Amino acid sequence: MTSVSVIDELKKFQILELLEQGKRVDGRAFDEPRKLVIEPNAIPKANGSARVRLGDSEVICGVKIQPDRPFPDMGDKGIFICTAELLPFSHPSVETGPPGPDVIELARVVDRGIRESHMIDLSQLVIEKNKSVVGVFADNVVVDYDGNLFDTCAYAATAAILSSKTPKWEMKNDVPTLIEGAELNIPITTIPVSVTMGKIGNHIIVDPNGDEWDSMEARITITTDSNGNICALQKGGNGGFTFDEVIQCGKISVKVGATIREKLKQVMGTKK
Amino acid sequence: MGGRDTELVLLDENGIRCDGRKVDEPRRIMIKAGGLKNADGSAYIEFGDNKILVGVFGPRDVHPKHMSNTDTGILRVRYHMEPFSVTERKNPAPSRREIEISKVIKEALEPAIMLDKFPRTAVDVYIEVLQADGGTRCAALSAASVALADAGIPMRDMVAACAAGKAADTIILDVNNEEDQAGQADMPIGYMPSTDKITLLQLDGVLTPEEFKKCVETGIKGCKIVYELQKKALTEKYFANGDSK
Amino acid sequence: MDNKRKYVIPGDIVTTGPYRPEQNVILDGNKIISTTIGISEIYDDSVKVIPLTGKYIPKINDLVIGKVVSHTSLSWELDINSCYVGFLPAQDVFGRDFSAHADELSSKLKSGDLVAARIANFDRTRDPLVTIADRDLGKIDSGDLIKISPSKVPRLIGKKGSMIQTIEMATNAAITIGQNGWVVVSCESPEGLLKAKKAIQMVDEKAHVANLTDQVKEMLESKGES
Repeated sequence: MTSVSVIDELKKFQILELLEQGKRVDGRAFDEPRKLVIEPNAIPKANGSARVRLGDSEVICGVKIQPDRPFPDMGDKGIFICTAELLPFSHPSVETGPPGPDVIELARVVDRGIRESHMIDLSQLVIEKNKSVVGVFADNVVVDYDGNLFDTCAYAATAAILSSKTPKWEMKNDVPTLIEGAELNIPITTIPVSVTMGKIGNHIIVDPNGDEWDSMEARITITTDSNGNICALQKGGNGGFTFDEVIQCGKISVKVGATIREKLKQVMGTKK
Repeated sequence: MGGRDTELVLLDENGIRCDGRKVDEPRRIMIKAGGLKNADGSAYIEFGDNKILVGVFGPRDVHPKHMSNTDTGILRVRYHMEPFSVTERKNPAPSRREIEISKVIKEALEPAIMLDKFPRTAVDVYIEVLQADGGTRCAALSAASVALADAGIPMRDMVAACAAGKAADTIILDVNNEEDQAGQADMPIGYMPSTDKITLLQLDGVLTPEEFKKCVETGIKGCKIVYELQKKALTEKYFANGDSK
Repeated sequence: MDNKRKYVIPGDIVTTGPYRPEQNVILDGNKIISTTIGISEIYDDSVKVIPLTGKYIPKINDLVIGKVVSHTSLSWELDINSCYVGFLPAQDVFGRDFSAHADELSSKLKSGDLVAARIANFDRTRDPLVTIADRDLGKIDSGDLIKISPSKVPRLIGKKGSMIQTIEMATNAAITIGQNGWVVVSCESPEGLLKAKKAIQMVDEKAHVANLTDQVKEMLESKGES
């Protein structure tokens, strides 16, 4: 372990002490996320993009849309792929090279949150069934780390998708050919919002910052859709949650998710 | 690439280029020092439509240990493009082009930095291209120099970079993407302004010896323009709200 | 800013002539060139640049705040916010009779503990040697850790300690300043703690501003949460 990943014991102790008194180190309520700033179209040349800051964590997501071959037994659906990468300057402990299990988990959880909600109506992204479909690639890059990349990446990807315009293609001589000047919004059915909660002692806190992240024994990320249904969930960390805590987290994720959804809607001007 | 460009006029009868610039005019450049919270030093540059972020760590411990040098610190540079930075989505894994550019930028910075007082350490420069539009390596090198200064890495000089080239038989300053693809030569140059040393130089294309000389001169003029903006970026961060010289 | 001081960036010529180059400058022919962002100072026979950024470079006898990051059976390693890791030998804490078999290092200091320490020895061939064997040194049991840029430490201390005394007196806080930019603040009252932390952050952000002392005093005297 490199030196920078060791949290100082004094801070860990202070965090727990304050929690016992019903307070958090940065003055937030237990169910209060940090300030969320969304900047759409940060990368104008991509099909869609967003730069998101959740507290001091920062992620840029760029969406590229291009023709692709469909997955083997899903010839009537477009493709959606979501990735995440920690840029080496986001934190001194980040190493270059192929992603480790933490980053892979991050990418897969963010991907699932959006995919399982059916945010994008993939059935409308077909150029020729079984032959050519539209591929939507949402690539997240983490620029600065201060805890809770699950939500920061999820909001960046969601915002980027909401801001995206897809070109249109038609088959000409068996090759998907771009139709000039025809662009549409991506077909959206719902707005998924992920909410990550950490457990420190017996306390559940929403959107742990970097220090809280290093102090927590377990975490849970829950994604809800516009109907208030839970569509994806991931527990992580080497501690455990009681049954009541899990149910409590579910309720919190619906409530907090609704507030964040309003922010995403505002910025994007979507009506869903 | 780009068979649609048969209509593209690189230089019209008034001496105006395809994006409205004159032959000796660089694209719009903006440089900001700092900005990243966890890096020891950082910088952000917009050069035309290029958007590049650079973060620096160091001097710091070297891992793996066998890479460290007992007499001096080492410099490591990684130039990397995001998948969404180019027209067709790019695979995140490092390409040969990125590896070569990483090396070339490292060798452009090494003459400037002084790491003999930091044996057994490394200075890591991480360059991330968020949006690319021709001339990324020059923009990246210029931002890297600012990020290194921001981190307090001792340097005998800044390194400023700009490309010159040839299109429609004319020597032009700061080659954009279309000119790179449809033009006749592209020459990125990295230059130390106070020491008057060229530390990055590459050429793609065909030039007569006279054109070659003019191209290098033009490129250096561009580097000096970039240098003023590097200075401005550092001044804005460090010397604002006080007397400056 | 008088004629003998000016803002410089790497590569800037500070002056020409027969001066001895001191910190952060190099001699090139007869030109004295800055190697860092900072404020140049020209003395009678020498020139130096005071850096406005950069990591902490250990100096013998400096007081630093360190964080234990690991240990072997014979020593601890401390993060001291420098290019190098601080090395604290077990004998420093256990004494000459230290025995690797009998004495367990983590019983005294473990990963994550903060200590006030002094640089005992440093040269470029080895990692800095650190000691906590004085009365005012050792494990830090309470207080808030604030990190500022090491180049701002002289400003935080002030001329003959004037700035730090101003802050301590106005807030009743006890402040330990590490030369490495790490500062520990403890205070009985939460408002005092908040004000002290705010004052320290102000110095970190505005060290180069001319009337900083007045601004800090004004903030300390203002009532209530700001």
